[in-house]
Amino acid sequence: MRSVSMPSAIGAGVEPGFRGVICVTFGSTGDTAGLDAEVQPRHDLHFEAATADTLSELRSALGSSHVGVRLVLAGPPADIRAAAAAAAECGLQLEEMTLLSDDTAPRVIYCPHCHSTTKTVRAAGSEVGCQGCGTVLATTDHFSRRLGAYLGYSAHAEEAS
Amino acid sequence: MTITALPISAHPAVAGGLQLEVTKVAVQTESIVTITLADPAGRKLPSYVPGSHLVVQYGSGVNAYSLTGSGNGPSDYTISVLRVEDGAGGSVAMHQLSVGDRVQVSRPRSAFAPASTATHHLLVAAGIGITPILSHARAAVERGTKASLIYVHRPAAGAHMAEAKQLLGPGLAALIECTDRGSFEKVLTESLTTQSLGTHLYVCGPTAFMDAVLDQARELGWTSARLHSEAFGAAELDDGEPFAVNLVRSGLRLEVPAGVSLLETLERAGKSVPNMCRKGICGDCVLPVLRGTPLHRDLYLTDEEKAANTAMMCCVSRSEDPELELDL
Repeated sequence: MRSVSMPSAIGAGVEPGFRGVICVTFGSTGDTAGLDAEVQPRHDLHFEAATADTLSELRSALGSSHVGVRLVLAGPPADIRAAAAAAAECGLQLEEMTLLSDDTAPRVIYCPHCHSTTKTVRAAGSEVGCQGCGTVLATTDHFSRRLGAYLGYSAHAEEAS
Repeated sequence: MTITALPISAHPAVAGGLQLEVTKVAVQTESIVTITLADPAGRKLPSYVPGSHLVVQYGSGVNAYSLTGSGNGPSDYTISVLRVEDGAGGSVAMHQLSVGDRVQVSRPRSAFAPASTATHHLLVAAGIGITPILSHARAAVERGTKASLIYVHRPAAGAHMAEAKQLLGPGLAALIECTDRGSFEKVLTESLTTQSLGTHLYVCGPTAFMDAVLDQARELGWTSARLHSEAFGAAELDDGEPFAVNLVRSGLRLEVPAGVSLLETLERAGKSVPNMCRKGICGDCVLPVLRGTPLHRDLYLTDEEKAANTAMMCCVSRSEDPELELDL
């Protein structure tokens, strides 16, 4: 396991041409141990959260890898979805990723009014204030794999004021 | 050619298509000619997706041929035809065409498109399978994506090599010719294990060749989303078991004997079903299935579509059950 504070090596320690399984865990809840005990070769990465820096480390690991590689992502949905979107940008196919989601952790809501995102633990259909523009967003089940977020929209927009 | 009188009626597969004139015939190899078709009035032709094919009428029959250009704003269409002596006669008729002849063709049809998200195209061709692969190579060079090309052919039987070599450069990074199985296997294994994650594979050639390439790719961890293939020859199918079909809307029940296809049975009963290749490749003769399990023998439906058992290709597919119910 790598710590986030360690300087990022080229390819995050993944050997060039790697075609095994890269297992990435996020936060304290991510756990891929049960799933992949027998999978070899395997390369483990651990990050506290999906940030610009940690995702760039993941991109660099995927950049060193070759077709045939598989990715397992475990942790809060916000982090693994952001990582999956970054991996897809690197050319990884959906069928080549396994997502193990900790569904007690917050989900990400996308605001189409200001394009920023807000985390919430409330269920779809409930309302949340957008961190970007303050709009009260109604949350939905509509999920964007590219953004790694659920669509929100201005609640009560069609009601007479 | 003297028998160039236009066909009296257009085959359904070329209906609504184009009438083009042969402007050039060039010999590629002993058995392959390249035919260039253009609008008789010199108008531009419809653009097409790389890897597309054209359905060309000969006499009362039709054949599909891959277009070899990039497809972007073409002023002519170019196809290459391998002469097949014991075929249905299409390739022999094509080989008899000469400059000035008119032919009825479909609009280009796309069934082998490049993946829009790919950053590298690994192109693999065997024999006459070079034709759609050349289209992909040209499109990659024009569009600024990268490609590499592996071309397997018998010694001195490689078509389009000069054109492929001209494409070499920043777009087409590699062009590897293999004339024996051993060297091809080595090159393929090397290529399949060294591709960056944006790579998609495209293969065209005889069915057994494509199956071998795709099987090896899957074994090496390539998922189906990355694999693209264009079938142009279907394997010989056995006669199959007899079965019955119940045409629900027509209130008709037909027996399909062994050795006779469902499509032929329907045609004999006066039912007209759109069709083109009659080999389970083109997808034209799809029929909706209401009840029963079809024995899928086509190359058109995806595995998911086959498993759903709601559609079948009546030219080659038969039935697992004694009776099928069709929405016809």
